[in-house]
Parts: sequence; C-alpha cells; structure tokens
Amino acid sequence: MLRTILASPKLDKDKLKEYLIRLMYVEMLGHDASFGYIHAVKATTEHDLALKRVAYLATAQFLDEHHDLIILIVNTVQQDLKDDNYLVVCAALTTICRLVNEDTIPAVLPQVTELLNHPKEHVRKKAVMALHRFHRRAPASVEHLHGKFRQMLCDKDPSVMSAALCALYDLIVDDPKPHKNLVPSFVSILKQIVEHRLPKAYDYHRVPAPFLQVKLLKILAALGAADKAASEEMYSVLSTCLKKAENSGNVGNAIVYECVRTASTIYPSAALLEHCAAAVSRFVSSPSNNLKYVGLESLSGIVNVNPAHAAEHQMAVVDCLTDPDESLRKKTLDLMYAMTKSHNVEVIVEKMLAFLADAQDAHLREETVTRIGTLAERYAPSTQWFIETMNEVFAIGGDVVKPRAINNLMRLIGEGSGDDDADASLRADAARAYAELLRKPKLPKALLEVIVWTLGEYGGLLTGKSNLEVMDMLCDAAETQPEARALAAQTMTACAKLAAQATASGGAPGLSEKASRLVERNLNSEDVDKSQRAREIVHLMREDASVVAAALPRDAGGEDVDVDAATTSIEAYVNRARQRGAAEYRTESERARESERARESERARE
Amino acid sequence: RTAVRRRRTLRPGSKAFEGAKDIRDSRGRASGFGALDLGLNGRGSGRVVVERILGEMTVRFVLLVNKQGQTRLAHYNEIVPKAERRQIEGEMVRKCLTRSDKQCSIVEHRGMKVIYRRYASLFFIVGVDEHENELAVHEFIHCVVETLDRHFGNVCELDIMFHLEKAHYILEEMVMNGQIVETNKSIILGQTVMYDPPPEK
Repeated sequence: MLRTILASPKLDKDKLKEYLIRLMYVEMLGHDASFGYIHAVKATTEHDLALKRVAYLATAQFLDEHHDLIILIVNTVQQDLKDDNYLVVCAALTTICRLVNEDTIPAVLPQVTELLNHPKEHVRKKAVMALHRFHRRAPASVEHLHGKFRQMLCDKDPSVMSAALCALYDLIVDDPKPHKNLVPSFVSILKQIVEHRLPKAYDYHRVPAPFLQVKLLKILAALGAADKAASEEMYSVLSTCLKKAENSGNVGNAIVYECVRTASTIYPSAALLEHCAAAVSRFVSSPSNNLKYVGLESLSGIVNVNPAHAAEHQMAVVDCLTDPDESLRKKTLDLMYAMTKSHNVEVIVEKMLAFLADAQDAHLREETVTRIGTLAERYAPSTQWFIETMNEVFAIGGDVVKPRAINNLMRLIGEGSGDDDADASLRADAARAYAELLRKPKLPKALLEVIVWTLGEYGGLLTGKSNLEVMDMLCDAAETQPEARALAAQTMTACAKLAAQATASGGAPGLSEKASRLVERNLNSEDVDKSQRAREIVHLMREDASVVAAALPRDAGGEDVDVDAATTSIEAYVNRARQRGAAEYRTESERARESERARESERARE
Repeated sequence: RTAVRRRRTLRPGSKAFEGAKDIRDSRGRASGFGALDLGLNGRGSGRVVVERILGEMTVRFVLLVNKQGQTRLAHYNEIVPKAERRQIEGEMVRKCLTRSDKQCSIVEHRGMKVIYRRYASLFFIVGVDEHENELAVHEFIHCVVETLDRHFGNVCELDIMFHLEKAHYILEEMVMNGQIVETNKSIILGQTVMYDPPPEK
C-alpha cells in the first residue's frame, strides 16, 4: 500500500514525513522497502526542517556508504552545510557521519573544516566527529588537520572537547610518538574533571563526566605504554581518579575498572598497582556477576605485571570456572590463558578442552582451538603429551582446526627429536593410538588426515597387524568421508607406502584387496590428483621391489629433498640436443626484444 | 646418493619460544595488558603495541528488542546486510532470554561483546568491540534510558514505537561513529526538540 501512495505524483508533503517513518518501520521488521529509498533521498532537499531531518534519518537508516544512491545526497549535503540555520548544518553533519565514504570525502572536506570555527558549539562538535569519520575511512585526507584536532581540544565547550578526544584517541593509537607532548594537557583535563570543574549538567549520578574520564584514561594508557617518562606524569592523577571513583556506585566502578586497565598498561608503579590490586580484590569477591567478570578481566592484565596478585584469588577464580554463567567461565579461561606457564599448562589445557567440548559458538571454538595449539606448542612438557593433546583437539574441534596445525603435527611425528630410540617408541605409540582411534565410527576429517599419513609411514611398526590389515583399516576410514577428496588421495599413497615397506622387509608384496579396489576406482577419477596417483601406484606395483622402495622410501618424511639447481644429471641429454641443432633457451625479455625488432622491420618494409 | 638430512623445525615446549613476546590470542592481539617485555625498537612499533592492547573502542550497534523478539529500535554503526540483521537480533534476544537475572550482563557472541539490560519487557542490547569498557557501556545504556525517560516522561515501549524518529535523534546525538560523544541530557534533548514540527497554528 505504501508503494502505491508513494508512487502517486501528488504526494502530500505533510504526510510524507509519516510515510518515511513507516518505511523505516517496515525495514526494521524485516521486510524490504527499497522502493522507498529514492523518496527519502528526494525529501532531503525539502526546506521544511522537520521533514528534512526525517529524510536524512531515513536515508541514513536505509543506505550504507557503498550504496549507489549516495551520490545523490552529496549535493544536498554540500548545500546544507552552508545553510544559515545551524540545525540544518547539524543534520547534514550527522548524516555525513553515517554515510560518507572515501570517494565523497573530498566533496565535503573543505566545508566541514571551515565549520570547525562555527559559533555554535553543536556544529563544532559534529564537525570534529565528521573529520574523525574521514580519518577512519581515509587517514591521508585529514593528515593536514592533526593540528586542528589539538586546537579543538582546548575549545571552551566540553562537548567539543569530548569530540576532539575521540579523534585524538584514534590518532594516538595509530602512532603515539607525535602526541606525547599532549600528556600534560590530558592529565590536566582529567584533573579538572575529577575536581568537579565542569558544569553540573555534565554530571551523571553525581560523578563528573564519567564517560569522558574513561576516554581520557584510555588515551593516557595509549600514551604511557612502555614509556617511563610519560607514565610518571600520570601516576598522581590516576591515583586521584581512582580514589574519587571508589564508592561512587556502578559508574564509579566503571571508572575504577578503567583506571586498573590503564595502570597495568603503562609503565608500572608499585604504589598505584597496590591500590589497583585492592580494587580488583573487591571486584572478584563481589556477589555481583558483572563485577566478577570485570575483576577477572583486570586480573588478566595485572597478572602479567605482578603474578603474585593472582595467587590470592585462586579460590575465587577456581569457583568461577564452574559457574553456571557461561560468560564467567569464558573469562576465567581467558585469565588462565594469560597465566599459563610450564608448570600449569597440563591442567589449563585440560580445562580448555572441556570448555571446547561444550562450546557451541563457532567463533569461540576457533579461538579456543588456536589457543590450545599455541599453549601446547609453547609449553608442552613432552612430545608425547603434545601429540595426545593435539589428537584430542582434532577429535573435538576438528571442524575449526587450521590446516597449519595439522601439518605441524605430521611434521613433528616425521621429524622426531633426534633421539632415535625415543623417536621409534614415539612413533610406535602414535601408530598404536591411531589404530585404536580408527575403531570409532566417525572421526573428523582433520584427524583422519593425520592418522592416514602416520599409519602410512609407520604402520609397519604395529605389532599384531600385518600391513595388509592396516591398509584395509585405512580404506574403511576413507570411506566414512566420501566427500573428502584429499583424504582418498592420501589413503592411496599411504597404502602404497605400506605395500613398499612390506616388500622391502620381505613380507607379502602388493596391495590388499580393498586397497586395490580403491586404486582402481580412482584410475579414471575426475580429480586429476587422484587419477594421477592411482595410475602411478598401479605402474609402481608392477615394478621391481627395489624401485618401489626407492620411490616410496621408508621413514623419510623429515628428509630434505635436494634440488640440484645446476641440473647436472640432464647435462648429457641437453648436450646431445644442442649437437642436433636445438635452439638455446631465451629469456622472456630477450624474446620480447626480438619480437619488437621483427615488428619494426615489418613496418620499415611497408 | 645424497646424504640423508633431517629438518627439525618443531619442538614443542622447547626453549626456542621463550624469547617470544607475550601470548597472543587468535587475532594476534596480546591477551591482557602487559606491554613491558615486548622489546619495542624503532619507530612505528609503538602503534603495533598499543593497537594490539587497546584496539578500537567502538559501539557497533544499539538494539531495542522486546521479549517476543520484535525489534523496536535498531541503530547500526557498521554495515550489516539487512538479512543478517534479523538473524543477529533474533539470536541476541534468545541468548538474553535464557540468562537469569543474577548472571552477568555481558555475553560474547560472534567475536564481539554484547552488553544487555532488561527494562520491563524490553531488552536494550549494545554490541561493542572486544576492548571496550563493559561497565561503562552498561552505564551508558542506563544513561540512554534516563534520557528517553526525561523526554517522554516515564518512557514505555509504546512511546518508542510511536515516536521512532525521536528515539533515533537522541541516539544519534549520543553516539557518533560508534563513539559515545554526548551524555549531557540537557544538550541532547535541547537539540532533539528543535526538530519538532512547529505547533499547529
């Protein structure tokens, strides 16, 4: 119905506002209202302030910066930025903040820059935020304006200063060095805020400008990180801030939390950290789950600076580990990840594996899997433990494991640690463990890849099973994952290796029944890799035992393959060809020059 | 025949890693805030340290969804395709509904932090980046509610439904570019009323 109304030529302006709002509703409820976008764009040109404002809002809701219709509003926005009515200017600036993209920045940049000097503080504030947006989208476009941001920091209106803080934070995070000289300014501003020198209207529940305080604390953290001189200028104001914020209710706690984060980021000060540790104790032992969460998060920060603090809260932390609240459990794991060292890695990884088994969110799983991998690599007490852990990880989280982890594990088994006896027993253990695992009906693909490769190389070490039986097991396993192409190819190669080993040690030659059938099926496979392997194997099996052994050497996964760059082995062949008159190789540039010369001589002849 | 040489590249638990910097999480960011032994050298490495510790502070979206899963207000600061929005909003509400009052108001979902607060039948849901101050955002939600309250006088779900554009104006004053810019209620509301149509003659 809206569609027909909007399509009619005599659209009532008064009602248009209502219709645009209804369009927004329609979209919010999940239906498509794209027929109405153009009306919103057209309405931005109206003079009626209320209608214009709604039109801008609707446009911002409907479109995003990559939409085609953006070019249509650029002109309107440019006009409106110059309007006498500051409210129109504000509306235009707000829309810029939501819709401008890299291409449209140059169109509005000069005007916005001028607006930094507008008499109305609301306009100045929004102009700063618009420039902030430009910086986020195309930092080069506002490089010349960094000085302006600093100027706006000193604007007499606190809201404008607040906007300047946002912009400066981004600049500082990108590169703190040029802004280190601002540390005294920030310290002074924070001090003034904490001493209630801002107008009362900026108070929130009797706490002066808490969000500004948090922002300033973040900026100070960015400037003080790993910089002793800068940090020393901050200790006093941080202390004051902390003291004033305690016992100020929830908002105060937010400020305390930020103070603790800042204190653990900048160059450490023992006194300040003591103070923070006390605050963190309060959080962790609080009955409120929110405060516990925040306490755990700040503990992660402090623990890196002074591990002793973590010890006091061991009981509370352990309790959180089994809390029914999933967020708390995740936070505790974060903390433990930060605290892992060689002596506690086994316990922590065990807990993480348990968490992984329960976790549903794909992102969480991926993060946990990567973390376990990192911890295992770094702090593993023994290679044996590492392999067992990785097996478990692949079993539980096989769907989100990265290929690199799979390759790492295979390389590890193949390369060994240099001690031949330990290696041999390790590989035998691995082979046995994998053979056991193969009994399970369905394993994740990642794990299967590792198993197939390992058993291919070292299946011969399995006592009690002949190579033929191992081959059969592998083929059965490959069947459980019919879509995994790489797996089938690897299984064939593994079977071939086993066959080679059997022949070399005098056992029964050739592939088992199932293996032969697998190879035959893939002889004419559409997948080039599979068919190539299948054919190679068929030919190889007909060759002499020594050839087979050379082609598929035993236990050579860790050996380097020497590439003879001088190609001496085919030198004789090349010489014979030269004698017969074959042309020498010419590089690409030589060939290009020759064809140029040929073309020029053609043209000359014409 | 060439001699056999073995490469040894991986050694779990070896001291080789001890020289490495602090533990990075899956996104390469330092977990926690210890910046001390990161061995900074040369220009520009300052940025690497700081960015990995502090990251962007961004409010990604602000949603008002009622218990039945109907969205009453959706203010997105980043580009999210329309189809995905419905999905996210539904997932958020379901997650919030399954949590008890005692449990914390912070959830991790799809790699970002989501802070929610329940007011009668409405859920205020704010999605932020990992490194944002969760308690501050929690209070920000309350600040928004108080501002709406002051404007509408005891705000309820119907007020927002009938004056959707007002609610948006208020939010647009408070959050720009995903940053919390303005929390001074007089300023916010002073500006918002200016866009009211003039009274009927």
